[in-house]
Amino acid sequence: MERLLNIDRRIIFAFVFVGVAVPLLIDFSFPIKPTEPVQRVYDEFERVASEDDPVVLLAFSYGASTVPEMQPMSLAILRHAFSRDIKVVAICLWPEAPGLAQAALDQVAGEYGKEYGTDYAFLGYKPGLWAPIINMGQDFHDAWPRDTQGTLVGDIPVTANIRNLNDFNLVFDFAAGDSIEFWWIPFGVEKYKFAFSGGCTAVMAPDLYPFLQSNQLRGMIGGLAGAAEYEKLVEIPGSATAGMRAQSIAHLIIVAFILIGNAAYFASRRRGAA
Amino acid sequence: MFLTRTLPTLLAFAFGAVAVLIYYIPHGVAQEIERELSLWLRILYAFAYFLGLYSILNLHWTRIQRRQGGWAYSGVAIASFLVMFLFVVYNDGAGPFAPQASAGGYQWMFTYIHVACSSTMFSMLAFYIASAAYRTFRARSSDAAILLVAAIILMVGRVPIGHAISDFFPEAVAWLMEVPNLAAKRGIILGVSLGAIATSLRIIFGIERSYLGGGDE
Repeated sequence: MERLLNIDRRIIFAFVFVGVAVPLLIDFSFPIKPTEPVQRVYDEFERVASEDDPVVLLAFSYGASTVPEMQPMSLAILRHAFSRDIKVVAICLWPEAPGLAQAALDQVAGEYGKEYGTDYAFLGYKPGLWAPIINMGQDFHDAWPRDTQGTLVGDIPVTANIRNLNDFNLVFDFAAGDSIEFWWIPFGVEKYKFAFSGGCTAVMAPDLYPFLQSNQLRGMIGGLAGAAEYEKLVEIPGSATAGMRAQSIAHLIIVAFILIGNAAYFASRRRGAA
Repeated sequence: MFLTRTLPTLLAFAFGAVAVLIYYIPHGVAQEIERELSLWLRILYAFAYFLGLYSILNLHWTRIQRRQGGWAYSGVAIASFLVMFLFVVYNDGAGPFAPQASAGGYQWMFTYIHVACSSTMFSMLAFYIASAAYRTFRARSSDAAILLVAAIILMVGRVPIGHAISDFFPEAVAWLMEVPNLAAKRGIILGVSLGAIATSLRIIFGIERSYLGGGDE
């Protein structure tokens, strides 16, 4: 029993490795059912699509380490937006984000034949955490005068008529840090009262439930599981859906190890008491 | 004393008080002040990157000079910075003052080295979490048992296999997140916010001055 309690961690690592690698190599699927917070994001984009000349602001606030969770989410949202002819303005509030945002925009715009300038624009990164949000709420062109290629935003059709954050039909933040609860909600949503939704890493999602209930956050996509649910809603399975196989098996392996560890713990305690 | 203590305290008071007040004042003058302060903040953050860069390079250079344990890794860090910096300046032939190129050496290194390495580092957590959960997640008390059961329901119910096993798991996850989790998080947010307000007021009114350094205050 002691051997089981002090199992070599490399054995656990081997199980996790096999549990992650094999499902990625074998094609099978589990049923994915969208949860309410993800459904609310989808419904928000559908609402936007039904409005005249819709345009959304997508803020990329994540870096390289969270790409496996956040990039599938970005691709799914962009696919939904472009498939419904929603115009997209992309910004970055995270220094590592521009390369990731550019890659996502190039890929999905190419898939849907969208043109830079008329269908979407990419304005790059500004430092200052919440300060650019305050500036955008006052005067968007003042906060972001040029795009990444140096073109004045007033000369880009998709941004020419945007005066401030209220002119977007929806603002959406892809967050790997605390940008939703500490930047966008206090300095943006509460101050300027615009429609706002967000996506975040799985570890952050529980923190955002109070904002979902208060409707300061109209919808939320949490982690890779949330991204897979969104892929299900837009009916375009991507890397998040594929990742659910590995994540499902990995979770089961961790649960199994926890149960085995507890069984061994109680057995050794009973033996000690005897 | 005036430059190291009094002036920074006065500046903290002036900017802190003004920043708090103008948040609630919709008048044009207040909005203009807020705009200026936000621009200053953005500029300060940009300069903070230079400070951070100097700090990390200095740290690694000192390790190399002193031949501290693992100094070779510091050499790799500095060399990596220099290579990336050179490619940023080269900018795929366009030079440092042109908009950043969407192709070329820098983009290649960012995508295929930086993103890959960073994602791998983050993904390694799965292995350590599995090992740590096995060793420490024990139902030693009733509180720990409740936490354990909730964690197992969450781990199974948050992934599609939970849906496949039983509808109980996703429904239980939704309840756990929307009732006990929400209540606890709201309490934490309120507590943290009250603490942040109290600390901010202490800084604005000069009661809390430890951020100025010096140690004895």
